[in-house]
Amino acid sequence: MPAQQPILTVKSIRKTYHLGRVKVPVLHGVDLTVQHKEWITILGASGSGKSTLMHIIGGLDRPDRYPTDPASIVYGDRVITDLGAAGLNHYRSTEVGFVFQFYHLLPELDILQNICIGSMIRYGRFGYGSHRKGVEARAKDLLDRFGLSDRVKHRPAELSGGERQRVAIARALINEPALLLADEPTGNLDLKTGESILEVLAGLQADSGLTMVMVTHDSRIAARANRTIRLIDGRVAEETADSSV
Amino acid sequence: MYQSLLTKKYLTSKLMPILAMLAVMLSVATILITWSVMGGFLKTLVNSGRSLIGDVTISWPNVGFAHYEELIVMLEEDELIDGATPIIETFGLIQLPDDRIELITIKGIDPVSYDRVTNYTDTIWWKPIDKPTAKDHDRSDIRLDPEFSTAMAMFESNATTLSRLNTDSGQTEMAGVLGVEVTGLNIRTIDGIYDPRAYGFRATPDGGVERVAGFMPAGGSVGLTVLSLDSTGKPVDPETRTIPIANEFQSGIYEIDKSTIFVPLEVMQEMLRLDEARKVEMVENPFATEVDPVTGKLRPKQSEVIGIDPARVTTVLVRAVDGAELNAVRDRVYDIYSDFEALHVGEVPSVFSMDNQVRTWEDLNATMINAVKKETGLVLFIFGIVSFTSVFLVLAIFWSMISEKTKDIGILRALGASTPGVAWLWIRYGMVIGLIGAVCGTGAGYLVVLNINSIHDWLGRTFNLVIWDPRTYYFIEIPSEVEIDKAIIVFVVGVLTCVLGSLIPAFRSARMDPVKALRFE
Repeated sequence: MPAQQPILTVKSIRKTYHLGRVKVPVLHGVDLTVQHKEWITILGASGSGKSTLMHIIGGLDRPDRYPTDPASIVYGDRVITDLGAAGLNHYRSTEVGFVFQFYHLLPELDILQNICIGSMIRYGRFGYGSHRKGVEARAKDLLDRFGLSDRVKHRPAELSGGERQRVAIARALINEPALLLADEPTGNLDLKTGESILEVLAGLQADSGLTMVMVTHDSRIAARANRTIRLIDGRVAEETADSSV
Repeated sequence: MYQSLLTKKYLTSKLMPILAMLAVMLSVATILITWSVMGGFLKTLVNSGRSLIGDVTISWPNVGFAHYEELIVMLEEDELIDGATPIIETFGLIQLPDDRIELITIKGIDPVSYDRVTNYTDTIWWKPIDKPTAKDHDRSDIRLDPEFSTAMAMFESNATTLSRLNTDSGQTEMAGVLGVEVTGLNIRTIDGIYDPRAYGFRATPDGGVERVAGFMPAGGSVGLTVLSLDSTGKPVDPETRTIPIANEFQSGIYEIDKSTIFVPLEVMQEMLRLDEARKVEMVENPFATEVDPVTGKLRPKQSEVIGIDPARVTTVLVRAVDGAELNAVRDRVYDIYSDFEALHVGEVPSVFSMDNQVRTWEDLNATMINAVKKETGLVLFIFGIVSFTSVFLVLAIFWSMISEKTKDIGILRALGASTPGVAWLWIRYGMVIGLIGAVCGTGAGYLVVLNINSIHDWLGRTFNLVIWDPRTYYFIEIPSEVEIDKAIIVFVVGVLTCVLGSLIPAFRSARMDPVKALRFE
């Protein structure tokens, strides 16, 4: 492991969902440390809490809070769990990029707009104007890199699953986040397409030193990752490190 | 930034916003049309009422006031006043050709000065016209018929002079002008014109009927009975005269046209004993005698003439110059009356007692104007409530759209969008839909109002549907007028309606859990 400050430290994270009066505990005190430029895969059966953990890390969801709870997520020198709504919004738009299993592209927008919308949110109405050219140039670079430069004006419905996922990755990277969170990025793709997506991700990590946390069932991803964590019933049950990293 | 992009995209890719726009458009157009028609109705009604009473009136009922000619000269010297005319207004009984006796408002006028102050000649009905009235598509109005043009010109001339030639005696007699609805012998058609009956019927004592003159200007006459008053205003004797009818008038107000007759001022002054009279000193000793200067013989002592009691009128009508503020004119008239009274102290009503007798036409018609205003308000209120349902329609449409777009909301939140940002997306969307709907509604309403009579005619021709029947509503055409301030109010309310409808769904979208939104299927 690189001997430097970890990019992310997750400590004693617990999460309980409330289905009516029924409490459904999902995470039972998860501890995790992610180093810069590390690729971590989180494995686990359905319901083991891996997506919930990813959402909490990404600031989309909040962990349970107890008066004496020592739980925290520290990103760099910021305690994410202490951030308010505005702080979390800023964190999501600047530091984190999400990639989802079902791509989650906006169907009314074309590919370029789908990618740039993250920057529109980040810079706001007036700020985006001054960044527009740079953002669009970066979006086109990413599309070019992903082999989609001729699909700029296409709508998501006109693309294949693999192409959509590449667009989703480009969208996640448009604001140059340090942390990419991917939830089953190949889960909805065939073997060959999934492999090409992994190639793209591996290339990104190699080129830009992106830190990646991926939730998956796919053993191929686990094989490419620097470290694999297995969640069982909301707890880290096993951690396997690749000694080559 | 992303809100404007998504607003544009959502607007052009869904049926739902078009439905919301239609809801706003229809409610805006409905309110605008209703308000314009009712406002136009009120304005037409008021102008019709004003056409025969001028702008300001000075009145002293029953006994009237003297030296009115001097007052008129003083009034007409003022720069705010265009003209003034004396009239006598009283109530009496009218005996119609079919022997019906009805209560009637009698106005004694000087037709020349009365026309300067009011639109009297415009209201005269039987006169030659060049163009058919708005709804007289088949040119069935007899006033257009060249065969009657000479007669019509004569009737018009008779009305402007309040006289008529008696063909039996060859003498010109003073005549009256009757409201066109008084006799009931002029049948108002669906074309908005009058079809005069050639004759009417009168019941006879033996149980039969006999024909009487139907078309009043051609030889018809009525009996007028008034109660003359002494100088203290107490009734003295009923006075009855037969008044030939010179013409008929239509003011546009049914109540006036149904119960008013114009007669020459001097006729009313005579009948009410408001004409010039000699003042005499009564002989106290009934046995006193004097020598007749003509015969030189003794005769019972005659009353001595000690002065002249000038003629009086009950009202002076004043016309203001164009653009003058009515209340300012009223105050000026009051001041002039004060000066006038100072010249004739004890001979005319004191200025203090005239305080409530100098009134604008709005004051005089306050009951009618307020009734129509209230009615307009009521109709607008009802339509407003109906249109308010568009708020709920927009709410339902937005609720449905936001449910459909739940995943988009989750994506935006995952990309860092704030809750106010997401709420603003939908409020802005509602505002744009409201703006487009209100623009279309205002435009559609304006076009409908501009062409409301053509549309109405088309409905009549195509579906035999007559909503505005001139026989009922009295005005020939549907009165309508789009006022800019009203259009702006309706427009703004239309936009606000849509924004209001989008608020609850917008807050719902903002409160969505992004994780649940992303998992929404």
